[in-house]
Amino acid sequence: MLEKRPAWATALTYVLLSLALIAVTAPFIWMVLGSVKTDAELRQVPPTWWPDAATLDNYTQLFARMNFAQYFVNSVIVATVVTVGNLLFCSMLGYALAMLNFRFKNLVLALVLGTLMIPGVVTFIPLYVLVVNLGMADTLPGLFVPFLAAPFGVFLMRQFVQGLPADLIDAGRVDGAGELAIFGRIILPLLGPAMATLGILTFLGSWNNFLWPLVVAQNEHSYTLPVALALYTTGQNQTNYGLMLAGACVVVLPLLIVFLLFQRRFIEGIATTGIK
Amino acid sequence: MKIRVIAAALTAAGLVLTGCGRSDTGPSTGPAGGSPVASGSATGNLTMWAMGAEGEKLPDLLKDFTASHPGIKVNVTAVPWDSAHDKFANAITANTTPDIAMVGTTWMGEFAQLDALDPTPANIDKSKFFPGAQATTEVDGTSYGIPWYVETRLVFYRKDLAQKVGLTEVPKDWDSFKTFVTKMKGAPGVKYPIALLPGGTGSWQTVMPFAWSNGAQLANGNAWTLDSPEMAEAWTYYQSFFTAGLADKAPVAGSTEADFASGKVPMFISGPWMMSAVEKLGGAGFADKYDVFVMPVKKTSSSFVGGSNLAVFKNTKARDAAWTLAEWLTQPEVQVKWYKLSTDLPSVQSAWQDPSLTGDTKLAQFGVQMKTAVAPPTFPTWEQVAVKFDGAMERVAKQNANVGDTLKTLQADATSIGTGS
Repeated sequence: MLEKRPAWATALTYVLLSLALIAVTAPFIWMVLGSVKTDAELRQVPPTWWPDAATLDNYTQLFARMNFAQYFVNSVIVATVVTVGNLLFCSMLGYALAMLNFRFKNLVLALVLGTLMIPGVVTFIPLYVLVVNLGMADTLPGLFVPFLAAPFGVFLMRQFVQGLPADLIDAGRVDGAGELAIFGRIILPLLGPAMATLGILTFLGSWNNFLWPLVVAQNEHSYTLPVALALYTTGQNQTNYGLMLAGACVVVLPLLIVFLLFQRRFIEGIATTGIK
Repeated sequence: MKIRVIAAALTAAGLVLTGCGRSDTGPSTGPAGGSPVASGSATGNLTMWAMGAEGEKLPDLLKDFTASHPGIKVNVTAVPWDSAHDKFANAITANTTPDIAMVGTTWMGEFAQLDALDPTPANIDKSKFFPGAQATTEVDGTSYGIPWYVETRLVFYRKDLAQKVGLTEVPKDWDSFKTFVTKMKGAPGVKYPIALLPGGTGSWQTVMPFAWSNGAQLANGNAWTLDSPEMAEAWTYYQSFFTAGLADKAPVAGSTEADFASGKVPMFISGPWMMSAVEKLGGAGFADKYDVFVMPVKKTSSSFVGGSNLAVFKNTKARDAAWTLAEWLTQPEVQVKWYKLSTDLPSVQSAWQDPSLTGDTKLAQFGVQMKTAVAPPTFPTWEQVAVKFDGAMERVAKQNANVGDTLKTLQADATSIGTGS
């Protein structure tokens, strides 16, 4: 069935892929190597690739100065709750918009799509005022409640559910299942790949979020990792690059683990939905 | 980041929430701004925001304060410098400001215009501060805070390399400065004798010291004066370093310290934090290889004054306690102790008589420069104009644009932005 590809095409593919691989991984490798360099070496011109004298000072300083466990726990709680919330609420609304008929359905869909178009900076301050008026400033819920459902997730889920055969639902109804049972026992199990995609994208976004936790947290106890890192690495006039790179490595590690765990389903998800 | 309006709406509608954060209070109805504080007897719980290293080290210093003021409790929140301004702006909008905070000198105009700051009580002695630093607290004639710590910009140079080309005297005026830099080019290993910012973010802090030293002003009353002959002369002088090949038109960002330590670029203009930075890079004994001197004179020697102020927010419920803390932080002995903890330079002039500061000849130079150092006007629009200023300087330094024409455009841009009043 497949025609045999000419050798030069295969070679070209490998060269192009290798270049892409280098372009993608080089900054990452540089970050890891940089995290064990001294600040003096990092500022050296021309820069070194391999550390001259590897040191763990940056890491020691990072953990000694930062209340690391606290920030890590905050980050994990916020990212996990936001992810679970998105998976649950987005799939519910996405299912309803795709499969159910109700009044104002198209209006709701238009609203969801509309909010997708509004840039975050526009709604930042009103959202903050809202959270303050709800009494959630300086609480952990203030960090995750506003993000429990995102229009992007709703849209993604709706598109995915639309691809499922409606007969499945009819079959469920014939067997006497209620709406919740249909959603929970028929639809949810089929959403795997879309859920993996949405889950990892949401986790990533929430984990890396900087400005919102900075503004909402009134106290260092509720800082998340990115905020804490910015606090200890960037001064008014100077930046401690070694510390910053070490911090970046520590922040990236959990993401890598999450990604590796879900990698297969994640790629499946992209392939199935065709949406990133 | 993506902010989800619909999520917020759903949340508001669908969840019953019990508040456990700070309750929202309207503006304080306490004493009118500017009235004296009841010192000594004030009590209350204070929330204080301080950025970066200051926020990290302040709790140590405040142990003395709480020991001598048992009625006042201070809770310091360290805020990252990165986006600190956004945090303040949001807090002002939503009325969640702290009682007292460290505030960047260039934010004063904006925050005062938003009516967020409490005017400085009349009983705080304003003459004890360096006049340039005090000026950063004054918006439209009213003082809205007190200078906490200061910094100013000096010329750094490699003493050892200067000696190699027979330079033993530091230059005092513009002509001898130019000669000095030109001769430095002959020193072994030198690529460019001086690092000057060719425009770009914050370059006005290096350009304006020359302009101020030539009697130029950024504004006069409520009008920008960016195209004055004095300004043009200073810009032309600054530009000449690039056209004569004495300064790199495209320096690698962040390479100043390393190039200084290696001797490739043996001069630059910057602030006191650079001392520890270059000494760390230069290794043992490097402190003896370089020195600093005050800005060369044209009419005066006037550098830029930066640093941070302490401001009390109008929203506070413990105004007296907040000002008591602010005043305590500017006592000369506390300022000296803070210098030892943080290396932040005292804003109070008398603190500079302490041996820990007078004993360091380089620091003493900063002290001399501070007396005449100048700050940009506290207009809320200054940051916007500064961006235009930096862009204009970039064209002058990198593309050799005509100074007169560029300044005319800059003046027009600044005038259309206005002074915010």
